[in-house]
Amino acid sequence: MPWRLWNFVLVFGLALLCNAHPIYAETSDKLQFSGFARVVLGYLDDKNAEYLNYDNSLSIDNESLIGLQADYQMMDSLAVTGQLIGHSGEQRDSGIEWLYLTYTPTNALKLKLGRQRTPFLNYSDVIDVGYAYPWATLPQQTYPRHFFSNFDGLMASYEIPSTLFLMNIEGYWGYFKDKVVVSEREMEAKTTGFHGLISHISFKNWNLRGSYHQGTTSVTLDDVTQFSGLLSQLGFSQSADSLATTGVTEVFQFSANYETVDYFVRGELNRIKADFIFVPDTDGYFLSTGYNYFPFSSYISYSKNTTDYEQPASDIPIGLSPVLDGLAYSYLNIFEQLPVNSSEAYTLGTRWDLQPGLALKGEVSLIKGADNESAFFNIKDTAFDREALLYLIALEWVF
Amino acid sequence: MKILLIIVGFISLSGSICFANNAITVVANTQDRGMLLSRHEVRNLFMGTRLGYNFIAITLPPENQTRVIFNTKVIGLTESRIQSYWAQMRFTGRKKIPREVASEQLMLEYLQNNKGAVGYLPASLTLPDDLTVIYTIL
Repeated sequence: MPWRLWNFVLVFGLALLCNAHPIYAETSDKLQFSGFARVVLGYLDDKNAEYLNYDNSLSIDNESLIGLQADYQMMDSLAVTGQLIGHSGEQRDSGIEWLYLTYTPTNALKLKLGRQRTPFLNYSDVIDVGYAYPWATLPQQTYPRHFFSNFDGLMASYEIPSTLFLMNIEGYWGYFKDKVVVSEREMEAKTTGFHGLISHISFKNWNLRGSYHQGTTSVTLDDVTQFSGLLSQLGFSQSADSLATTGVTEVFQFSANYETVDYFVRGELNRIKADFIFVPDTDGYFLSTGYNYFPFSSYISYSKNTTDYEQPASDIPIGLSPVLDGLAYSYLNIFEQLPVNSSEAYTLGTRWDLQPGLALKGEVSLIKGADNESAFFNIKDTAFDREALLYLIALEWVF
Repeated sequence: MKILLIIVGFISLSGSICFANNAITVVANTQDRGMLLSRHEVRNLFMGTRLGYNFIAITLPPENQTRVIFNTKVIGLTESRIQSYWAQMRFTGRKKIPREVASEQLMLEYLQNNKGAVGYLPASLTLPDDLTVIYTIL
């Protein structure tokens, strides 16, 4: 049995244990257990490609997961929180997702120290808790899966209530080191000086969030680093520099939600800028509107992203000698292999709240990309037209 | 014409009876007997903001009719959306879900016994003198 499955089973077993003995959590206000789980069944209506690892067979092991959280209140102002997640998918590691201390010196100020989720986008720190959002899955066009899910560091949160609006400001600083998958390659990534500022404002039925994040990221790509060194030794500094594996990454984000008892409108846009090869500059957005008719909520969404890599340098002459030609083609080949993942998706779905803490969702998405691009598809046949329907059914549970 | 007036009068009367039955008061155990909050402040309090008054929000269970009316009139969200909100707050460590009591009667008892506790009740309920109404919505 694979290790990830053992983790999944372990967390699931712990969750059942906690749920079977709720008295354990209730006997002491100081120690509380809670958890979440999701079972996502998916099918891609095209045999020539895969999308988010879904293909034209029913699969349940891509995005299904279970998480268990323990909160222990050590003193009035000091608490410790741990969260364990078991993923069914190969793309995410199971294990400790969170482990941090919370210090609350005043009602308005909160400090968290330890391993926490990265709050890049509106739902990125709760991406695994499907119950928290209306859709069966967050759009890949706005929520690219290569974003790392947690960091080690300090986060400060300050809340400013007023008679008209409520404002919350969060700032964090920390670092990240783990394996990531970018441009279909797995690599060791390390981000230092990782920091960000998030502002959240609630006013009447509006919720607005704007954020900025920055860090210096280096990835380990031995073959690229060696080739870049060779180019540098030969004096092709522009080409060598363009293969940098270290650089500054910036994320800009803005989202707006408007909701009433009857309907909601949610939108989010983001821009990712990276100074090194393999991470393209990306602009993404989504817009979603839904109608609530309890216990159901139906929605339509549109999401789109465009990606753009740095252009290759042109300081290696072509046509002077076979050796230089070989060097130039090897260099250009690296850029040609980079997957361009611009795409758009139209989604239609319904959420059914079966009871508090339990919801069933069904949705269908039409995903489209340009003929010469990957568009997040893993293409099996070159005749694939970059257009496919993805069907998802998700059972969401929080306890 | 008389019959029409009687019908209109009856409809108006039954409408106001319904209205009165759905009226909600937000009640606090506080020394400040003159305190009044706005709807915005009450909403924030029950969505996890402490407001600086050291109030602690207490709620009724999801299936409770008073809670449904309170959600609709004051919070302005469906029960499922409120549950989603608390899932997001809980699993991001931002805010703690308010304590729940099983019924209006237990709410009343809890409010009386706990300083700083704030809860919502039907406006038709007779309140003891030691509790303060800080918000009313018809």
